Amino acid sequence: MVEAFAVASGKGGTGKTTSTLALGMALAEEYDVTVVDADMGMANLLFHAGLAEVETTLHDVLVEGGAPVEDAVYERHGMSVVPCGTDLADFEAADPRRLRDVVATLAADTDVILLDSAATLSSRAAVLPVVLADRVVVVLEPTIPALSDGLKVQEYATSYGTETAGILFNKVRDADAIDRIAPKAERYFEGPTLATVPASESVRAARRNGRPLLAHAPDSAAAAAYRQAARSLSVRDGDSETVADRFRSAVVPDSP
Amino acid sequence: MKLPEGQLVRSRVVSDPRTVLVDALDRELTGYAVFEPQDALLLDASGRGVLTFRAGVPTVAYHTGTERGGPPALADLAAAGPYQLDLYALPPADLTRVHDQAEFRVPPGMPAERLVGDQALAARTREAAPSERSMGSASAGTRAEPVAGQPGSDNGEDSQVGAVEAFLDDEEKIEAIRDQARSEAQDRAEEWGFEDVASRDGPGDPRS
Repeated sequence: MVEAFAVASGKGGTGKTTSTLALGMALAEEYDVTVVDADMGMANLLFHAGLAEVETTLHDVLVEGGAPVEDAVYERHGMSVVPCGTDLADFEAADPRRLRDVVATLAADTDVILLDSAATLSSRAAVLPVVLADRVVVVLEPTIPALSDGLKVQEYATSYGTETAGILFNKVRDADAIDRIAPKAERYFEGPTLATVPASESVRAARRNGRPLLAHAPDSAAAAAYRQAARSLSVRDGDSETVADRFRSAVVPDSP
Repeated sequence: MKLPEGQLVRSRVVSDPRTVLVDALDRELTGYAVFEPQDALLLDASGRGVLTFRAGVPTVAYHTGTERGGPPALADLAAAGPYQLDLYALPPADLTRVHDQAEFRVPPGMPAERLVGDQALAARTREAAPSERSMGSASAGTRAEPVAGQPGSDNGEDSQVGAVEAFLDDEEKIEAIRDQARSEAQDRAEEWGFEDVASRDGPGDPRS
């Protein structure tokens, strides 16, 4: 079985990478999880996952005649993690078209694929993870631009045949009256509110320490909210071959 | 809401209202900004948003199209596309009458926090605000900020989400944003070579 989720927001700063790794770790308690940094232009998953020093990254796999994908897969915190590098030259040499083959290869051997997506809808490479995924998790903050961009992500996803698994409100403070905002937002999103994650110093500390939140502060309220979100995501039992075929046949951009 | 015409200090098209808030704060502007959405696709593009400032700190919001003031006016002036922005300076005395209209007031940090989504700018703005404006309504006495849609709330501006709720209550605007994104996605499907995906999995034919 395998199901691929794109974790997306359309707007920067909503905490997508933190959310991707936290959902990944929470889902890993039950499933075999692979997390892929699909934000190839602004990689930061490696910093969050303590992989800043690794030799081989997704960029090395995506170049012509590059490394096999297995070389860029790191077992960390109970998950398989595929980071991107931060070298601009590597990024320019990488061919995003190969991402579909990478994802297809990974799909053969995992239950859940989480694609950490770019915070923009302005290029083919940025939208590609949303196209490849079965469903999208939309990360929001209780602000007008975050909601507005989240709605755009959903429309793009729907237009390209990708469903909405749910919305996740991040960086929520007590004063945000999220109990009123979330139900109003749900009227427009196709999926439920998976969780509301409180703003937390633990999140920043985890990032500074290069560890995912659920490893750094497993008892924090934010970590509990991500576990709740993972429980609310009922992972579908997709056929690995079908999913792999779909990735292979997906139409993919020519350039980043 | 009537304002005397001020001295034009800036006029340009901006893509993000953040530029306006930063500019007003940096100049410690006393005056007002007029936001006019350039995007005719949005239904309420006809109205203009007005945000006044006292020493760079947002004070009163009003929208000429919806005739709403306060936090809901911030939702009304939120637009997907670029704005024509005019920034005017006024002598403080010319704003007194307008600033006395408590129902039009917005908390100092709300435009940065809710309209722009920039917490750091919101914090900077709150720091620049006079203490009686950043205190909670309970301690601010008669100068209390209005709390849109939140009767009984007494925690000052942090408890306010009037602008976000007003935005979510505006079904027409949300529909306009969604329609625009949908048509953009379809146009780009061609441009990006995603037509197969877009047509294969059209409405009513979900991927399975």
